[in-house]
Amino acid sequence: MPSTLWIGNIHFGALIVPVKLHTAVSQNRVQFHLLHKTDRVKLRQQMICKFDKTPVPAEEQVKGFQVDERKYVLMDPEELEQAEPESSRTIDVHEFVKTGGIDPVFIERIYYLEPDAEAKSYGALAASLKDLDALAVCTWVMRKRAYFGAISSTGKALRLNVLRYTDEIVQAQSLGLESFELSEKEVSIGSELINKLTVKFQPEKYVNEHQKKLWEMIEKKAHGQKITPLTPKHLKPTMPGKLLEALEKSLNRAA
Amino acid sequence: MMKEQNTIKSATDPGGKKKSIPQEPASQGIWSGTISFSLVAIPVRLVKSVEPGRVSFHLLHNRDYSPLERKMFCPEEEKIVPPDEIVRGYEIQPGKHILVTGEELESVSPDRSRTIEITEFIDIREVDPIYYDHPYFLVPLKGGEKSYSLLVESMRRTNKAGLAKFVLDEREYVVLIVSRDNALAMSTLHYSDEILPMALVAAEASDEEINIVKKSIKAMMTDFAPEKYSNNRRQKLLDIVNKKVKKKSEVKAPEVEEEEKAEGMADLMTALEKSMRTVKKNGPIKHGKN
Repeated sequence: MPSTLWIGNIHFGALIVPVKLHTAVSQNRVQFHLLHKTDRVKLRQQMICKFDKTPVPAEEQVKGFQVDERKYVLMDPEELEQAEPESSRTIDVHEFVKTGGIDPVFIERIYYLEPDAEAKSYGALAASLKDLDALAVCTWVMRKRAYFGAISSTGKALRLNVLRYTDEIVQAQSLGLESFELSEKEVSIGSELINKLTVKFQPEKYVNEHQKKLWEMIEKKAHGQKITPLTPKHLKPTMPGKLLEALEKSLNRAA
Repeated sequence: MMKEQNTIKSATDPGGKKKSIPQEPASQGIWSGTISFSLVAIPVRLVKSVEPGRVSFHLLHNRDYSPLERKMFCPEEEKIVPPDEIVRGYEIQPGKHILVTGEELESVSPDRSRTIEITEFIDIREVDPIYYDHPYFLVPLKGGEKSYSLLVESMRRTNKAGLAKFVLDEREYVVLIVSRDNALAMSTLHYSDEILPMALVAAEASDEEINIVKKSIKAMMTDFAPEKYSNNRRQKLLDIVNKKVKKKSEVKAPEVEEEEKAEGMADLMTALEKSMRTVKKNGPIKHGKN
């Protein structure tokens, strides 16, 4: 049973829904340590003073905001506290939007919201959001931080999508991409090819095959066996002049 | 105190650890290789598509106001360890490690370490958002612009997304490639066995109760306008900073000869990435360049 991260109430209008926040995803992956080559001692990260090159313990660290070259304004903990939001146990719903109206790039993470009491309001909200195909846009404060998110429903269960603030999202325009002239023929063959290669999304089909291989490699090494290095596969880029030909060949192959 | 300088991982992380692909400054790219579908191969690099919004505080030494930098440190010898002296080890017993080199890591799945091969396409609407992990952009490298545009345009027209697997360092990622704003956006996905089941015992609501809730939802329906919501904390902090600037309460750091900036190296993985690159550069087998 996953542990509860936070307890609060969803609130809008006259409705109050007591909820508990639970993790929705758990990752279990091979973890490596970083070691010092010479003595195999586990390394740790250490803050080092750029000027005297010595390790600086936490009690000698202060926070500064850079205002100019080598010029800082110091911030003391009390000042940082002033910027903290007032603590609260309420998830305030401000408005509702259609599902699909939020680009997934906004989603930072998702939590499960479980009913904290045998409240019918939970069931009513879950059913309503599903029926109306809606998300509840909300804000809340958790562990001294203000969050912005959207509550979604699977019909019976509610989820809390933690959203990124707009200014945290890099706009595609900033990448400086130039659009490239394509012939209608190229795009229509490309589209046809994609449609031919389209399958139903079955996430369970994708398993982490790498993890097992990684384990095997570690075990081999643990038994003193040598690992034969393999060169990564590199694909030859399709030249612009050869694109149509490659697409046509692909389409024939997919047919 | 470190939080301000950390990457996306901890920016809004009240719960467990969140693993994302190591971050690098956008200009450099995190990885480069080829993305392919069927017989078309496009040279690309991977760049980030989210920037954790933070007021950039620097950690300073309270004695000389010199900025601090994060370094890998050997607690035994009490010294800073340069990247070429860092190795990766897997702990098989407490204190006993199996050392693993960068080449060995790339040898585990050589087909996937420099190639993102789209094996199938899916309808984007079929993807439950719970699968999304971390978003990136793919940017074409020289010569790949035309086939890149073709994939962008064809996926946009069909409203489809490509699925692929690729390996970076010790991790294999399932990724979803979509067409967004004339660019290829890529998101790592969670594996389905990483999605936890939800234990649920909600009391069933009556139709009457549901109808009341629906009525108030309908009254509050609108279009999603994320720019309405902003991080107040950042503004509050900037206000405090501005007040102090006016009072001229600044401190001055001593001059040090220019070194590589430490900000991009906010986490362990980035430091590791750097070390691996150095290892590769000096190693007997050349990677990365055709």
